[in-house]
Amino acid sequence: MNLLQAIRRNKAAYFFILPAMIVMIVLVFLPLAQGVYYSFTNMDQYNMGNKFVKASYEFVGLDNYVAVFTGPGLGEFLRILKQTVIWTFTNVFFHFAIGLGLALLLNRYIKGRAVYRMLLLIPWAVPSFISAFAWRWMFNGEYGFINVMLAKFGIEGIPWLSDPVWAMTAVIITNVWLGFPFMMVTFLGGLQSIPKDLYEAAYVDGASRIQQFFSITLPQLKSTIFTATLLGVIWTFNLFAVIYLITEGGPFNSTEILVTYAYDLAFSSWRLGEATTYGTIILSLLIAFSFFYSKVMKTTENE
Amino acid sequence: MNKKIFGWSMIAALTATTLVGCSGSAEPAKEETASKDGKVTIKFWTTTNTDENKVLETIVADYEAKNQNVDIDLQAVPFSDARNKFKTAAQGGDAPDVFRCEIAWTPELAALGFLEPLDGKVSEADKKDFLKAPYNYNVYDGKLWGVPHVTDAPALLYNKRLFAEAGVTEPKTIDEMIAAAKKLTKDGQYGFYLNTDSYFLQPFVWAYGGDTITNDKQVKIASPESIKGLEALLKFKAEKTVQANFDFANQYQNMMTDFKEGKVAMILNGPWAMGDVFGGKEFQDKNNLGIAPIPAGPAGQGSPVGGHNYVIGKGSKNVDESYKFIEFLNNTDNQVKLAKELKVLPTRQSAYDNAELKSDAVVQAFKAQLDVARNRPVIPEGGQMFDDWSPILQAAVKGDKTAEQSMKDVEAAWNKLLKK
Repeated sequence: MNLLQAIRRNKAAYFFILPAMIVMIVLVFLPLAQGVYYSFTNMDQYNMGNKFVKASYEFVGLDNYVAVFTGPGLGEFLRILKQTVIWTFTNVFFHFAIGLGLALLLNRYIKGRAVYRMLLLIPWAVPSFISAFAWRWMFNGEYGFINVMLAKFGIEGIPWLSDPVWAMTAVIITNVWLGFPFMMVTFLGGLQSIPKDLYEAAYVDGASRIQQFFSITLPQLKSTIFTATLLGVIWTFNLFAVIYLITEGGPFNSTEILVTYAYDLAFSSWRLGEATTYGTIILSLLIAFSFFYSKVMKTTENE
Repeated sequence: MNKKIFGWSMIAALTATTLVGCSGSAEPAKEETASKDGKVTIKFWTTTNTDENKVLETIVADYEAKNQNVDIDLQAVPFSDARNKFKTAAQGGDAPDVFRCEIAWTPELAALGFLEPLDGKVSEADKKDFLKAPYNYNVYDGKLWGVPHVTDAPALLYNKRLFAEAGVTEPKTIDEMIAAAKKLTKDGQYGFYLNTDSYFLQPFVWAYGGDTITNDKQVKIASPESIKGLEALLKFKAEKTVQANFDFANQYQNMMTDFKEGKVAMILNGPWAMGDVFGGKEFQDKNNLGIAPIPAGPAGQGSPVGGHNYVIGKGSKNVDESYKFIEFLNNTDNQVKLAKELKVLPTRQSAYDNAELKSDAVVQAFKAQLDVARNRPVIPEGGQMFDDWSPILQAAVKGDKTAEQSMKDVEAAWNKLLKK
C-alpha cells in the first residue's frame, strides 16, 4: 500500500523515471532473470534450440550448482576463485596506490600540470584491446620488447606467457597500467573539493605534512575512496578483455578468472547451463561483497 | 515551467532512443532475396588467410563476371573465430549462404542443424573424383553436408642448409629425429620447435599405437600407447633440443619466425603455411626447404588429415545459386589454380592429374604425406576436443603434470565432452 501511496504522491517523479525503468527492465532485468533460469537447466548447444530446431533443454533443478560446489567441480571453482581474488585485489591495490600518489602530486602547483594530467590519462583513453595487444607483443617470450631489452643486459628472458605466476604478473601489469588513471582522476576531483582552510588551520597548529595527510586528506577523501574502490573491485572482478586478449586464460587455465571461465564454458564448450550457473555465482559474490563493504565503511564512519 | 519542459523533452528523447534501438532488427530480412535489379546476393564467409584471399578474390571476381545476376558478398573471417561466429549467426537464422568450414566442424554444425544437406546437388562424377579421406568428413548421419575444398596433412619441414651443416639426414623414425635434433642444437640454434597446440601431438600418439577418440566415441587417449606418444614428444624437451623460451600465447608466430630466420631446423606444419615460409629469409631459395613425412614410431606413421569444406548455411534463400557458386569455386581448374599459387592440396583426383602439379615438388611432397595420413574422428565433438587438450598438454610440457596424469585428465575432459 505504502508504495502505491508514494507513487500517487509523487506521480510526476515516477513518471519521469518510467522510461529509464522500462529500458532497464527490457535490457537488464528480463535477460538477467532469463539467465538465472537457464542456470537451472541442462542447456547446451545441442538442445538450446534455434530458428530451425525446437529447444529441448530441461529443468534440472540445482544440479548445476551441486556440480560446482561438490566433488571435482568444487576444486576447479575454488582454484579459479582464488585466481580471481588475487587478480582483483592486486589490481585494485596498485590502482589505488598509484592513483592516489599521482593525484597528490598533481594536486600541488607544478609547472605543466595540465600536460602531465593529459599524458597520464593516455592509458585510459586508448581502447583497451589495442593496449592489450600492444602489451601482448611486448610480453612475447622471444621477440617481445621486454625480453629483448633484458637480453641486452645479459638477463635471461622471462617466460611471461607460459609460466603461471609470470602470466598472472603480466596481465596484472597490463591492467594496472590501464586502470590507474581512473583512480587518479577520481581522487584528484576529491582532493580539490577539500577546503583549503583546513590545511591552513593545521599549518598554524604546526601539523606536519604526514599528519595533515592522515588527519585531513584521508578522512575527507573517504567517500571518494569508497566509491572508487568499490567500482574498481567490481570492474576488475568482471574485467574480461585484458585476460582474454593477452593469455586467453592460459597457460593451462592459470590466469582464468570467473568471467573468462564462464565465457569459455558458454562460447567455447557451449555448456550454457553451467556457464549461467557461474554467471549467477559471480553476481551473488559481487552483491555480497558490495553489501559487506558498505557495511564496513558505514561502521568506521560512525566511530 | 522550465523544469517541466525539460522533463518532457527528456522523456521524448529517451523514448525515441528506445524505439531506435528496437527498430534495427526487424527490417533487413526483406532486402536479401532479390534486390531491385533482380540480382542475387550470396553471402560468402571464408576463413582463408591473407595470402590465400588474394587468389580467392580473383576466382570470385571471375565468377561474378561470368554470372552477371549474382553478387558475391565475400567476407574474410579469421579462422580462429569462425566456428563461433558461424554458430552465433546461424542461431539467429542469419548464417552466410556459403561458408568455408573446417572439416571437423562440419559434423558438429550438421548435428546442430545449421547446414543445408547437399544430397542430390553434388553430381555422381564429383563424388567419385573427391579423395576419400577429406570427403568422409562431409558425411554425417547418412547425409552429405558439404564438399571438400582443400585438404592437408602436416609434414616435417626442415632447413636443408642446417641439416647439411650438422651432417644429419632426413629422419625416418622419431628416435632418429630426436638424435638429429640433438646434433642440430648448437650456437643459438635448436633442433625442433615444440608446438603445444595439441593438434600436432596426434602424429606422436598414432606413431606409438595410441589413438584419440574413435568414430564410435571410445576415448583411447589414456592408453599406455597414447601416453608413450606424449612421452616421445616430451623427450625432445628433456634432451634440450627445443626452444628455450616457451610462449604458449604467441607460439605459432614464434615458431614461424624462428624457422624463417634459420634459428630452428625442424617444425611440423601443413601446406597452408607455404606462403609464409617462402616469404622468409632462409627460404628465398625454395630448394632449401625439405618436406618429409612425419617420422614413424613403432606402430607406423600418422599425420592427421585436415582441410576445409564448403557448406551452405541453413535457411539460405539461395541454395541453388549458392551451390552453383560452390561448384565453380571447387572445380578442377580453380583447385589447380589454388594449388599452384599457394601449395594447398586439392581434394580432386583430377586436379592431381594436372601436369604442372605433377611436377610441383612441394605439392607432391605433401601429397606423399597425405597418402599415409589418418582421419580424425568424424564426430560432432571432433573440433572441440582440442579445446580441452591443448591446455593440459601445456601443463605436461611445463612439467606441471606427468605424461600419464595429463592424458588421464584429457580422458576425463573428453568423457565429459562426450557426455559419458
